[in-house]
Amino acid sequence: MADFVALFLTDLVLGLLLGCVLAVIAHGLNIIWGVAKVVNVAHGEFIMLGAYGAYFLYLYGGFNPLLSVPIDAAIGLVVGMGFYFGFLYRELRGKESMGLQSELVTLVSTFGLSLVIVNIAQSIWEHPVGILWSPGAAQVGPVPVPFGGLYVAVVSVALIALTDLFLTRTYLGNAIRAYTQDIPATQLMGINPTVVAAVGIGMGFSVTMAGGALLTVWLPTGIDPTKIGILYAPISFVIVVLGGPGKMWGSLVGGLTIGLIINVGQLFLGGSIALATAVAVLTLIPILLFRPEGILR
Amino acid sequence: MRRLSLRTLGPTLLGILAFLGVLAAIAGRMPLVLLTLVINLLIFAALAYSINFITGLTGYVSFGHVLFMAVGGYGLAYGVGTLHWHPVAGVALGALVSLALALGIGAVTLRFRGVYFAIASQVTALAGFYIVLEVQELGGGQGIVLNVGFEPIAWFYTIWVILAIEVGITYWITHGRLGYGIRSIRADEDAAKTVGVHAAALKLVLFAISGLFAGAAGGVYYWQGSGIFPNEAFSLTFSLIMLAMIVIGGMGTLLGPLFGAVAVYLSSQYFLTVLIGFEFVIIGVLVVVIALFLPEGIVGTLRKYVPELRGLIE
Amino acid sequence: MKRTLAVSNVHKSFGGVRAVRGVSLALEEGHVLGLIGPNGSGKTTLLNLIAGVAKPSKGEITLDGRRIDGLAPHRIVAAGIAKTHQIPRPFLSMTGRENVAVAALYGSNKTRDLPEAMETAGRVLGLVGLAGKEDVASSNLTVQQRKRLEFARVLATGARILLLDEIFAGLSPDELRDAVALFARLQGELGFGALVVEHVMRAVLTVSQHVVVMEEGSKIAEGTPQEVVQNPAVIEAYLGPEAGRAPP
Repeated sequence: MADFVALFLTDLVLGLLLGCVLAVIAHGLNIIWGVAKVVNVAHGEFIMLGAYGAYFLYLYGGFNPLLSVPIDAAIGLVVGMGFYFGFLYRELRGKESMGLQSELVTLVSTFGLSLVIVNIAQSIWEHPVGILWSPGAAQVGPVPVPFGGLYVAVVSVALIALTDLFLTRTYLGNAIRAYTQDIPATQLMGINPTVVAAVGIGMGFSVTMAGGALLTVWLPTGIDPTKIGILYAPISFVIVVLGGPGKMWGSLVGGLTIGLIINVGQLFLGGSIALATAVAVLTLIPILLFRPEGILR
Repeated sequence: MRRLSLRTLGPTLLGILAFLGVLAAIAGRMPLVLLTLVINLLIFAALAYSINFITGLTGYVSFGHVLFMAVGGYGLAYGVGTLHWHPVAGVALGALVSLALALGIGAVTLRFRGVYFAIASQVTALAGFYIVLEVQELGGGQGIVLNVGFEPIAWFYTIWVILAIEVGITYWITHGRLGYGIRSIRADEDAAKTVGVHAAALKLVLFAISGLFAGAAGGVYYWQGSGIFPNEAFSLTFSLIMLAMIVIGGMGTLLGPLFGAVAVYLSSQYFLTVLIGFEFVIIGVLVVVIALFLPEGIVGTLRKYVPELRGLIE
Repeated sequence: MKRTLAVSNVHKSFGGVRAVRGVSLALEEGHVLGLIGPNGSGKTTLLNLIAGVAKPSKGEITLDGRRIDGLAPHRIVAAGIAKTHQIPRPFLSMTGRENVAVAALYGSNKTRDLPEAMETAGRVLGLVGLAGKEDVASSNLTVQQRKRLEFARVLATGARILLLDEIFAGLSPDELRDAVALFARLQGELGFGALVVEHVMRAVLTVSQHVVVMEEGSKIAEGTPQEVVQNPAVIEAYLGPEAGRAPP
């Protein structure tokens, strides 16, 4: 019994720590979703690019993943704006909401993009590459707390808090929020909707790629282009739906929920992380059926 | 009731049937390299027609169609490996299980629109993968190796029959009463309901047909590969290729999936010889460009800009 | 047999908003019932409840005594009731004829035969004054033509009770006169029953035999057009509380 309690507490802590980083990668998607009203199917590939960014900085500059966060975020901002003009501008321009046809175009074109990125990455790196960074662990009673995961969790929550501050306390942030609610009203306020949308999407990519850098701590077998997109993109989608699309703190609630389902849930599923992951992603279905606005009121 | 005659069938269907007829007639005399190429082309085409039923016709984008292909493969592997059935019976088993699964999943996920359906489809496929990893009867993470013979002619005729039925059903659906209901759903689902279209039932039937044929094509694919391995069978790449084929060829059309299959399969074979992985980069770029600039695909674009072809291709 | 639609004590709330609060009305085939009221008085919601787009929170809706509340929209159409959209929603990827053919193929007296549906569609388009627009893409129709297309679609379903949501709104005076005349003539010829929700008072009063007035989700008056326009509660609802009183 005491063993089980120790196991349970360990997985609880791990689940919360993992949940924070899952929250931040989903948070990037949440921002993009809020601004563009459509998901970026290639989201997982940008998480992967963020992870590779951290890998490069580690390889050539000796950076640990935390230090690469600001640089990844800056790159993400530029990449995101490029993405906006390449994939969304034509579909969103002058429209109050995205029609079915435009939604289809965006879903399909961004999935094409994901094919391109995954396969370029695969032909460059045939084997997973990893970052060696182990700041150790502290023993809290029966529970080992890894410092890497702890630092990453703290930075993740800080990132979400920063975006929230930016969106609620700055002029540009408020303009982005106004844009997500009502595009014509934004124009009436004298705000250029193109600039606002581009910055909003850029910010989403910033968070996504920074999240990719943070995620490397949780990739013990290294960055594998065939695995990241297929797993973390759907997980991000599920987290955003759980928390409620457009709700900024929803990402954290959704992320923690998924982190706990995976880590604590496996205890009750015969120790199978695979089954726990299946359960975690399938929570999407009942949420969409019964709480389409997310678990946060 | 109109009487069916060759004249009323239309040039596109006749063209496809002629193409299939020629292939069937000369299959036995093809050199093995060519026959293998043709078999794979037909498998790709069968997959393209399968996803066309749901995504092409209704506009519900399925990002997880690989699930049905994999289930078809596992059905075959279980039928042949464990039950010791003939592979064709294994293909049928896989297709039927896939049909049942599509009915069950579709009954729930088809309630979600647009992005939400797309995500739900991807999530069910991902969950399918993780569940199979834990099912020892299906080989778990190791997969199943089959001890089946090398029978290219049997593979050819099996996939040929599957594809021919798909083309026939696609024609029947798009040219009859159902076609109008489906087009109205794609145009405006809520408005369609208010003129009497039972949208939920129509979508579910299409999704089930889609699952059935994706399963059948998957069964032949893994029969030919004499085994199935979960990492490969649930690879997102298959979902993406299926979608790419109909985007490139033209969604919801009769000829589009065939064009898309030819374009995607042949270019993948060509670029494979240049650099591994590069073929998908090319296909991905094609999908991006076509989705952004020619959203109606090859067939739709030809019809739009070459009025002379309008009567000929559909 | 003449069909009768009866709505009794129907309520509908969205979250905390009580959009419809205990409305009752009855409509017999062959009659035109006007439903008027200020913006936000719950008229469109009531229509949606009858058409099966939303379920009532309380109350009953029956057709010939049989409960139809809570049935799916396509079942309501099959039962013989069809609704137009306030803002027309043609199937933009289809021609005018194809739009109407869908209704003929899936409506209450559905035909399974395509050429027959096409023929019906052409005939109905002629009835509503859209002859010549059969093969025009519906995305190229004007707003007025789209309203007529909506009307053609509900007619083609074979419905005997039509729910018409602001079909006379947004028309120029000339267009309005033509539309009212066309509606009256078709109603006389075809003998359908119609529940006409309208903002344009004059049009409703001309076409209806009986009028129901709603305000804030409740029925505040009912009677012949003449009775209703003289009802002080109605005047107040439309023109504000001061309108009923003499100026100081």
